[in-house]
Amino acid sequence: MPEDTSRVQASPSISAGGAAVVHEDTTAKWFLISSIAYFFIVGIIAVTIAAKFVWPQLLGTVQYLTYGRLRPLHVNGMLFGWLLAADMGLAFYLIPRLCGVKLWSEKLGVATAALWNVIVLGAVVMLLMGYNQGLEYAELPTWEDVLVVIAWIMFGLNIFMTIASRKYDQMYVSIWYIMGTILWTAFVYLTGNFAVLFATGVNQANLNWMYVHNAVGLIFTPIGLALAYYYIPKASNSPLHSHKLSMIGFWSLAFVYVWTGAHHMLHGPISQWLQTISIAFSVMLLIPVWAVVYNFFATMQGQWHQLRENVPLKFLMSGVVFYLLTCFQGPMHSLRTVNAIVSKTDWIPGHAHMAVLGAFSFFAIAGTYYTVPRMFKCKLFSDTLANWSFWFLMVGGLGFFVTLWLGGFWQGWQWNNVSIPFIDTVKALQPVWLVRFFSGILMFTGIVSFAYNILATIVGAKDNPEAA
Amino acid sequence: MLRKADSNFAFAVGAALLFFFIGGILTTVVPPLVDKSWSKPFENSDPSQGATGKLVAYTERQLKGRAIYVREGCWYCHTQQTRTLLADTVRSGWKGVRSPISTPDEFVYDYPHMFGTKRTGPDLSRVGGKYDTQWHRTHFRNPRDLVPGSIMPPFPWIVENPEEFTALVDYIQTLGRAKNWRPNGDYEK
Ligand code: HEC
Repeated sequence: MPEDTSRVQASPSISAGGAAVVHEDTTAKWFLISSIAYFFIVGIIAVTIAAKFVWPQLLGTVQYLTYGRLRPLHVNGMLFGWLLAADMGLAFYLIPRLCGVKLWSEKLGVATAALWNVIVLGAVVMLLMGYNQGLEYAELPTWEDVLVVIAWIMFGLNIFMTIASRKYDQMYVSIWYIMGTILWTAFVYLTGNFAVLFATGVNQANLNWMYVHNAVGLIFTPIGLALAYYYIPKASNSPLHSHKLSMIGFWSLAFVYVWTGAHHMLHGPISQWLQTISIAFSVMLLIPVWAVVYNFFATMQGQWHQLRENVPLKFLMSGVVFYLLTCFQGPMHSLRTVNAIVSKTDWIPGHAHMAVLGAFSFFAIAGTYYTVPRMFKCKLFSDTLANWSFWFLMVGGLGFFVTLWLGGFWQGWQWNNVSIPFIDTVKALQPVWLVRFFSGILMFTGIVSFAYNILATIVGAKDNPEAA
Repeated sequence: MLRKADSNFAFAVGAALLFFFIGGILTTVVPPLVDKSWSKPFENSDPSQGATGKLVAYTERQLKGRAIYVREGCWYCHTQQTRTLLADTVRSGWKGVRSPISTPDEFVYDYPHMFGTKRTGPDLSRVGGKYDTQWHRTHFRNPRDLVPGSIMPPFPWIVENPEEFTALVDYIQTLGRAKNWRPNGDYEK
């Protein structure tokens, strides 16, 4: 039974890599360090745009810092500068270990990291200058897109060659998800950044939403789950509950996600039948999600007490809960009646942040806390500070999500009552945006304490070697 | 199948791509082939079929204005679609007249599309002709001078650049005008 081998393979002692392999991890280190730097920098921008909702005149006369230019910088910076870079860094760490071999090429990896930094810095300049292509998640000019494709091929080549030379025959589920990410991302990205350029109007919008939705569903979801599948068993020191269930989750994700793009235009000017398909498949998304989440919870059975002390595990398991909630909201929003209320409101950023911050960034943060001391062979600078960073992000995040849901729902309710003038629905949300701003400050404090902790760990690595 | 894909690299890759392409192609390549209105510009001269009118291509100046709309990220706060919801048709309507629902054929010349996802400000799909140039000038200089409580950012650098300002307003006045929906041609200039 594969079931049994999987338990062995996922069990931390064995998959830690054959004793003889020495991992350099240079690539992983560079990716992680730069991603954390962007997490911090873009965090400042995040707080700034939250402030602009409360004080709309803030920095209002500086064209480079207007809301409409900072927002895409915030979104692209967090998605590509922080999250995807951190995910790639962690993939560079765990793939060689799951394969029991060294990374295929550290040189290529470091070059990839360098190129990634060029892309992100280029994006900052382009977006502030107002060079925006006008398509969500695909704002960057085409030359940047070409560089992203090149970087992605470099990343994919390195990972695939490492997998091809693996020592263990069976591929642990994290390997699957990372392979899936690399392949799907390639096509999703090409659709969203190149194919769209040859379409107009609704046709273009349809390609755009296919990309936007799958950027989350087929890039951040599978790579985030790859991390969770690796780090939950690791951090809790318990084998994965079921390999078979993890595969059901994987294959249903592969099949279902790509159909759902049109749910971004429900009630809008796009063919009704396409809307209906997207709704049906959105509801089916519950299958992969529940398969995945059940597996994680079952893995934790009898281990929940570890949550008290173990910071990576705290991030991981709250990430799993946020993932479950986000992916419950998603299918619900796609029902026409619910959509008529929440669509286009502030509910949506609440939902989106729970996915990308609450679930996937939490996984990446957990992975970083777990991995960095191991890569630098030292202890974490401060467990107490790590715990604080968790609570800042958790409380700030919850404050953010919950106020935006309540506020957004109320906003949608007001919009549907046409006797309320639009501007009154704006004024009504002021308290919501104020709470969101303060939640943002809390989250940013969490980011700062996370970044400082990791930085101090790296800088002090030599003075603080692991006892073992 | 699950077990085979488990350790067979090529099989896993093939299956992952196959699954992806089934859904990908059926939802992106097929729809415009089935639904012609996605690429045929709106035209109607029969009042019994709803609002009459014709979608015309943007002029050069309107395209310039549109580029400013893209550059300044107006589309992060404003949608351009009157959905099939009663509230949408009333809110983008005028003096009790409900505005027509947006249809794909009204957007054939939109590149990039500006449908939007978030309504921090009102929907703009029928805003063409709602306000005159002077209103827009004051509004862009500081929205709160006209609408207290607004959180729209000020855009002084547009107002101070006559060429940009005229282009932007020229574009805004086209929004929703393919369908001639207001009675007696009651549009502001
Ligand atoms: C931060 C969000 C935001 C951005 C960015 C923004 N707006 Fe607005 N806009 C609003 C809000 C809120 C209102 C409603 C209050 C008001 O009229 O000022 C509004 C109102 C409007 C109106 C009047 C609509 C009506 O039916 O009364 C127009 C026209 C408009 N905006 C155009 C623009 C243009 C053009 C840009 C880009 C140069 C832009 N807006 C950028 C938030 C925004």
